[in-house]
Amino acid sequence: MLKDLTLNVPEGDFLGLMGPSGSGKTTLLNLIAGLDKPSEGQVWVGDERISSMTESQLARWRTRHVGFIFQFYHLMPVLTAYENVELPLLLLPLSARQRRDQVLTALDLVGLSDRIRHRPGQLSGGQQQRVGIARAIVTDPTLIVADEPTGDLDARSADEILDLLDELRRSLHKTILLVTHDPRAAQRADRVLHLEKGQLVEQPEVLHEAAGARS
Amino acid sequence: MMLKNIRRNLIGSLVIVLGTMVLVPVVIFVWSILAFLDAATDEKSKNFKGIVTERWRLPSQMPFAYAASLSDGAASKPGDVKPEDSMTWQFYGGTLDPEKRTRENSLFAIATEPRKLCTMMDELDTLPPEEAAKLDEAIQEMERNRQAIIMGQDRLAAVNKRVGERIKLYGINYRDLDLELEIVGTFPEGRYDNTAAINRDYLLAALDAYERQTGKPHPLADKTLNLVWLRVPDSEAFAQVAGQILASPNYTSPAVKFETAASGIASFLDAYRDLIWGMRWLLAPALLFTLALVISNAISISVRERQTELAVLKVLGFRPWQIMVLVLGEASLVGLLAGLCSAGATFATVNLVFGGFKFPIAFFGAFFIPAEALAWGVGVGLLTALLGSVMPAWTASRIRVSEVFAKVA
Repeated sequence: MLKDLTLNVPEGDFLGLMGPSGSGKTTLLNLIAGLDKPSEGQVWVGDERISSMTESQLARWRTRHVGFIFQFYHLMPVLTAYENVELPLLLLPLSARQRRDQVLTALDLVGLSDRIRHRPGQLSGGQQQRVGIARAIVTDPTLIVADEPTGDLDARSADEILDLLDELRRSLHKTILLVTHDPRAAQRADRVLHLEKGQLVEQPEVLHEAAGARS
Repeated sequence: MMLKNIRRNLIGSLVIVLGTMVLVPVVIFVWSILAFLDAATDEKSKNFKGIVTERWRLPSQMPFAYAASLSDGAASKPGDVKPEDSMTWQFYGGTLDPEKRTRENSLFAIATEPRKLCTMMDELDTLPPEEAAKLDEAIQEMERNRQAIIMGQDRLAAVNKRVGERIKLYGINYRDLDLELEIVGTFPEGRYDNTAAINRDYLLAALDAYERQTGKPHPLADKTLNLVWLRVPDSEAFAQVAGQILASPNYTSPAVKFETAASGIASFLDAYRDLIWGMRWLLAPALLFTLALVISNAISISVRERQTELAVLKVLGFRPWQIMVLVLGEASLVGLLAGLCSAGATFATVNLVFGGFKFPIAFFGAFFIPAEALAWGVGVGLLTALLGSVMPAWTASRIRVSEVFAKVA
């Protein structure tokens, strides 16, 4: 699906990925997040070659280094907001108190401190996505990967989420990879790459628009 | 999260619970019978009882003349070993209504020496003080009044009589030999619920009276002795007594054999061998397999419905074995709890409410659920849940995240 693709993403970069359906955006995202392995070539994140890790090693690596934000939030319906955000921390050697501190910090960052006992069914779409974002950042990952995070939201909620991502990038200096169809979302990125039939095409005009919008 | 998922997947959990609660009691019934029969046929090493029976016929029909010397273990010379205790059994079957004989108005009585009921009968020789005193009172009455009968509680209820009443039994195996008896007591609830005991002196006197009245002996007069029980201290004494009986010239027509009670019971159960084999190796495994299949189906459906959630867990960093443990854990927890509740309910209902379950195999009456059944229930529930959920758990651990999210997209 992806052909002759070489991509370098500097630390702290906010990279947007756009392209028509079937162009390979999600495949690329999955490769970077360690959810898939390339049939040829290598994938390095930081100084780790993740393409040669076993499934268990990848799982362990993802816990510490990747925060994933889904289009449809994918929260556990039986767990509260607090418990959903706590899930990744259960895989780390932390005490209950440490987990509690980190969960509350993450929920505070996304502005949901007053919703910790609510289940996903009791939250709006925007609030659920905020919980998703809190879950993605709670382990302080190296990389945040967002697959159409505003795809299921109305315009206002989408803007709020994008503002939140901006804020997180500024305050936490995270590297963010954003897959989107939404040009407004893409504008928030430092640079945008376009995928066409499995190959990358950079679009400088999008980059200039983004720079213009920020200034 | 396991508990919440169990609660959320209520139908699936309910299927497992219902399946377990229906099949575990059946497995417990089967195993209770098998455990009882295994215990009855288990050889002991000390202080056990042996049975003298006819060598070539079952049931035995030995002449009563054998009784005295067999009770001494055929000891005839210095150095021979005598049993510590002995008991003779003569079986008398009778009905209260000869015109219309039914299971309810018939009974099977063991004619023996009254005192031996509390020294040689299994479980009656180890009763708690209160029950022992009650039985002793009835035995004393039977010693005073040879026309006394002690009955099992179920049999007493079946013939619709009470302690103190008189009955007339019309002989079934002893044709034209009718006995008039007075009910002087009952056996404690349990093993002898469907049995009765009468004084052997009365039966012997009735046989004599028959001969006087008819001018000829009763056809069974010389075949009246069915079993002789001998208690020996250990296997060495057993071997010696067995040798004495075998070597004695007094028991040739018919020939006799002396074997342990366990072996004797095992011989008697030979006729039920296929049934017991079927229960042990076909019925119980079939039930367990069926339950495992039911559980496997329920868990598979649950895993399919939760594919996305399981994929998300993988994305978050849960390893395949952790996903597997989650699925196995949910099923095991439900199976374990359902098994425990089912076993507890079965134990209480069968033992305390119904006083045992009747399974007419050989001469055994009611079977009780042993205390070990609680562990069986837990074990069966847990094991079948684990077996049934292994494949679905494996499938869950092998979920490919990219494929799941491609379908969702």
